[in-house]
Amino acid sequence: MQHIVKNLSEYLLTFLVILTLNFVLPRVMPGDPFLFLSSDIGEEIARFTPAQEAAYRQQYGLHRPWPQQYGIYLLRLLRGDLGYSIYYNQEVMAILLARLPWTLLLVLSAVFLSTIFGTLLGSLSAAFRDRAPDRIIYPLMITMSEIPPFLLGLVLLFVLAASMHLFPLSGAMTHFARHENIWSTLTDIAHHATLPVLTLTLVRTGAMYLLARNAMTTVLTRDYIRTARAKGLGPARILARHSLRNAMIPVITRVFLSLGGLVGSAILVENVFAYPGLGRLMRESVMVHDYPMIQGIFLMVTLFVLLANGLADLAYRRLDPRIAEKRGGRS
Amino acid sequence: MKTVSLAATASSDSASKAARIRKRYLSRSGRCALFLLLTIALLSIAAPLVTSHSPQIVSGPSLASPSLAHPLGTDELGVDLWAQLVFGGRISLIVGIATAILAGIGGGIIGIIAGYRGGLTDRLIMRLIDILLVLPDLPVMIVLAAFFGPSVVTFFVVLSAFSWVTTARIVRSRVLVLRERGYIKMAESYGAGTFYLLHRHFLPEIFPLATVGMIRLAGRAIVAEAGLSFLGLGDPTSRSWGLIMHHALSFNGIYYTDFWKWWLLSPWLALTLTVTALAILGRDLEKIADPRMEKRQC
Repeated sequence: MQHIVKNLSEYLLTFLVILTLNFVLPRVMPGDPFLFLSSDIGEEIARFTPAQEAAYRQQYGLHRPWPQQYGIYLLRLLRGDLGYSIYYNQEVMAILLARLPWTLLLVLSAVFLSTIFGTLLGSLSAAFRDRAPDRIIYPLMITMSEIPPFLLGLVLLFVLAASMHLFPLSGAMTHFARHENIWSTLTDIAHHATLPVLTLTLVRTGAMYLLARNAMTTVLTRDYIRTARAKGLGPARILARHSLRNAMIPVITRVFLSLGGLVGSAILVENVFAYPGLGRLMRESVMVHDYPMIQGIFLMVTLFVLLANGLADLAYRRLDPRIAEKRGGRS
Repeated sequence: MKTVSLAATASSDSASKAARIRKRYLSRSGRCALFLLLTIALLSIAAPLVTSHSPQIVSGPSLASPSLAHPLGTDELGVDLWAQLVFGGRISLIVGIATAILAGIGGGIIGIIAGYRGGLTDRLIMRLIDILLVLPDLPVMIVLAAFFGPSVVTFFVVLSAFSWVTTARIVRSRVLVLRERGYIKMAESYGAGTFYLLHRHFLPEIFPLATVGMIRLAGRAIVAEAGLSFLGLGDPTSRSWGLIMHHALSFNGIYYTDFWKWWLLSPWLALTLTVTALAILGRDLEKIADPRMEKRQC
């Protein structure tokens, strides 16, 4: 119990640091929101009279001292109020919730697929260690895991979409299309999501593969595997019941961790495929200097990453009782 | 006949030699990677010598296909792409090296302090490292680029602020192990001062580790710079590889014409080769610097 409390306080502290960063940054940055709001891009001509500016400062609460502003900011966040987007003219929260599902779709599918492929290939490699399959797969995976996701995405985009016309170039759904039934809508979405998901999957499979391969190799040298073999069990049964189960512990922990990591990759990959998720939104907002929007996305993304890390911690403890005992005994 | 047998003995000799000293020298892929990196670095440094065009001034018709005058063609304004490519390499080079040195040395010093001092200092540093490790770096960099305006200097300061963490962790755990070693305890008991210990015993052990870490940092920095520039958030005055790709993709007809085959492919290839070569080299050096890595991985 103690370590859970300790862990939770650690995460809360990290989150508070993020919140504070989010609060302080726009206030210490060069430039002034009123100057920007009142001018066209590139021009900096103040159009507000000092009286007007004072009125606006009053309206946005910017005349109060910083600590008070900070308190108000935290209270608003507790109510789920992320502010109002200057550019989109809408509540930041509403826009975020509309865009979030697209990013989640990409990230979750990629995590799911890369875990399956990575584990399968890793097991294969471990079973045929230093023989032909392992010798081919290992260097391939190592190289793949080092290529940055957005570079991989660009190749897929230009080879499969632009040259061969197999997939759409951009977007998440066909514009202005009318779908008679839900099935055609779903295939349309899947068709658009294929390339981004493939990119993220390919990038993540390498890490999963290495992990599964290492875990599997360690497990295969254990005594209980030898016992199982001595009992005369078939290789399939040993793999499924004895080795895979134990080898999955680090893999599953990594599943949650990679959820967080993939969000970062998704930001870039979404921009490659002009996919309307949070990453695309983030870039658009930066381009139009929509600060409340940028802060909202940043908050949501970091919260998501923190959550994924917390879950990874939790899963690790749950899956491996030895860890819980050891940690509990020590602290 | 004689030459054949000579060659055979030579090859078998070199094979056994290679097996014996494998841990101290680069593998074949590692040597290829190093060669590739040196070539890219050399081309970037000697950029004005390998191209007669400017990377900023219009020097031909716009959107020209590759020709003798313009080996990689020109972009939509008529600026030579080969010139952009070799000059762009300089930015990757600078960003990679500067970040690696700043973060590598900073992380090394902080790691030594944390490991050697222990106690409260160590706990505070470790907590800070935990926080920084969890923060996703790309969104943070986008936010900072948005608020402080894009510039190469801001960029590499921010990136260093984020990436000293990994080096610091590795160095700290190494120092913790070293501190318990007999010969260091012995030296301490003979009255060796902190600086003598650091200089004489810790640094030689830590230096290879930190250097390997720096190669990784350089790779990460180059990717991060390319990613930000690709989004159009990099320094607009510096034509880095990422920015060339950004411009290529901003061109309306890029998907429907053949221009991407030289406009987009060349910076793409340069980046991919650099990053993979750095990764391969880093992996190889890791095995040399820390022989246990090999056992763990294979």
